[in-house]
Amino acid sequence: MTRSHSLVAERLSAGYADNTVLNDLDLAVQPERITAIVGANGCGKSTLLRCMSRLIAPSRGQVLLDGRSVHHRPTRELARTLGLLPQSPIAPEGITVADLVSRGRHPHHGLISRWSKADDAAIAAALDATHTGELADRVVDELSGGQRQRVWIAMALAQETDLLLLDEPTTFLDVSHQIDVLDLLTDLNRARGMTIVMVLHDLNLAARYADRLIAMAAGRLHAQGSPEEVLTEANLEAVFGLKSRVIPDPVSGRPMMLPIGRHRAA
Amino acid sequence: MSVSVLSHSVAAGRLLRARRRRNIILTLVLLLACGFAVTLMLGQSFTPPGDVLRVLLGQEVQGASFTIGQLRLPRAVMSILVGMSFGLGGVAFQIMLRNPLASPDIIGVSSGASAAAVFGIVVLSLDGAAVSVFAVLAGLAVAILVYGLSFKNGVAGTRLILVGIGVSAMIDSFIAYILSRAASWDLQEAMRWLTGSLNSVQLSQALPLLVSLMLFGGVLLSRGRDLDALRMGDDTAAALGIRVGMTRILVIVTAVGMIAVATAAAGPIAFVAFLSGPLAARMVGPNGSILLPAALVGAALVLIGDYIGQFALPSRYPVGVVTGALGAPYLIYLIVRVNRAGGSL
Repeated sequence: MTRSHSLVAERLSAGYADNTVLNDLDLAVQPERITAIVGANGCGKSTLLRCMSRLIAPSRGQVLLDGRSVHHRPTRELARTLGLLPQSPIAPEGITVADLVSRGRHPHHGLISRWSKADDAAIAAALDATHTGELADRVVDELSGGQRQRVWIAMALAQETDLLLLDEPTTFLDVSHQIDVLDLLTDLNRARGMTIVMVLHDLNLAARYADRLIAMAAGRLHAQGSPEEVLTEANLEAVFGLKSRVIPDPVSGRPMMLPIGRHRAA
Repeated sequence: MSVSVLSHSVAAGRLLRARRRRNIILTLVLLLACGFAVTLMLGQSFTPPGDVLRVLLGQEVQGASFTIGQLRLPRAVMSILVGMSFGLGGVAFQIMLRNPLASPDIIGVSSGASAAAVFGIVVLSLDGAAVSVFAVLAGLAVAILVYGLSFKNGVAGTRLILVGIGVSAMIDSFIAYILSRAASWDLQEAMRWLTGSLNSVQLSQALPLLVSLMLFGGVLLSRGRDLDALRMGDDTAAALGIRVGMTRILVIVTAVGMIAVATAAAGPIAFVAFLSGPLAARMVGPNGSILLPAALVGAALVLIGDYIGQFALPSRYPVGVVTGALGAPYLIYLIVRVNRAGGSL
């Protein structure tokens, strides 16, 4: 079972060159919940995720995991608590599924430590949880997009972290595989209490699957809270400049947004 | 499948891959040992194995001591050490930059080391270790220059390769210029510094190579897992707890070190650094790290290439001519493939 961790961003600013992408942002991730970060392109949502997972250093402010700055603690130690699946990981040519997933064990090994039964067990558990066990000996290049994404999630699971950050895990997947991946993440959250933070493009899926939404605009936090609190017509107008209707989705009762647009509007 | 069954099959798969990789390494070592033995026994004339062994044990053998002790042995030993250095240094760059074209002999590092060596020898009258040190520094300077010139919001593989090819061409013309000004200019020397040659190598040159292989090669191999993780992209590697920048610096310094020391001894033997990694990758397949196999392939390429250059062709050619003839078609193939794949590789 996982331990509960606090992940907090304090007055966080970041940017590339002279272009500020995050501006004085405060955020506390709710432990053992699924959080989705939404916002228009270029609003800084990926940058926020990358900052929280120490891939880029903030220009001001800090990110604290259990009270300690993620940018100042040993990266290998951090990698045993905080996992990240980046937007476009690269599968080395010809690598098998089991081998790729086994790379997730990296932070658990020192310079000379030997492979152990615990490693095999962690890999098997990760394959099992992601239903990729029967793919174990297949070559990753030959898999479908949905299978491949499950394999990458399996790698992140083999890392055995209590927190998992994902940058657009459903992009480039067709709709059934998107649901598949989000169901899988929900299982992990429900079964293990894994804290999940992900950047999502699809607002309706975000509202459906996340316990908590964070809406960003221009490098700032525009709104955060439950899907009902965040996915409102007013917020959509402010964040995306989009006129819309928000109604309860008939399947889950969560809010669902329908864009209005200029054509075909009633 | 239950998790415990799965765990067993994961372990079995891992052991199988490790065993396959070990067998490939053993095969390569065996091949090298055979090649080594053949080059000692069979040159212009045949020397029986017994005589070879006696010369190696330090006994004086009429008619064989000079041929083997002064000609064949230094050549064979240097072939292996130089080839390992090129193979290991080359594959490290290719893995780090995730591109087989990003090998140090394509992007100018070998040329830089070669230019420094020829400049040091011809103009500054340096010799021995001083030439090696000078070559290492020049190789590093070229690596930093190419890296710096191609830096724009991070380093893109293709940009780095194009910049490197340009820098490499510039340096080669500089080498040609130095050679044309040298008093002792001759074709053999020119070949050495432009395409690489093992003519007139001596056993005393093996020491700096051995030291560089142990030091740089040792560090690189011990960091093999970190380097391998870079193949999944910098972000994924960082997420797995690898210090990406640190690993990069370590790889550049150790790979350039090995390449430069080898180049100072035998010149930039064409395409060995470039070919060894992809050949090793073909052999090892999905069975694990290709660092050590690439070193062995490099040694085999130089050993066999030099032997072919000496004895299998109508007249004697330096090893670089042979490896160059092998490497060029592969280079063309890769460039064609990159073009088709839209440069992603």
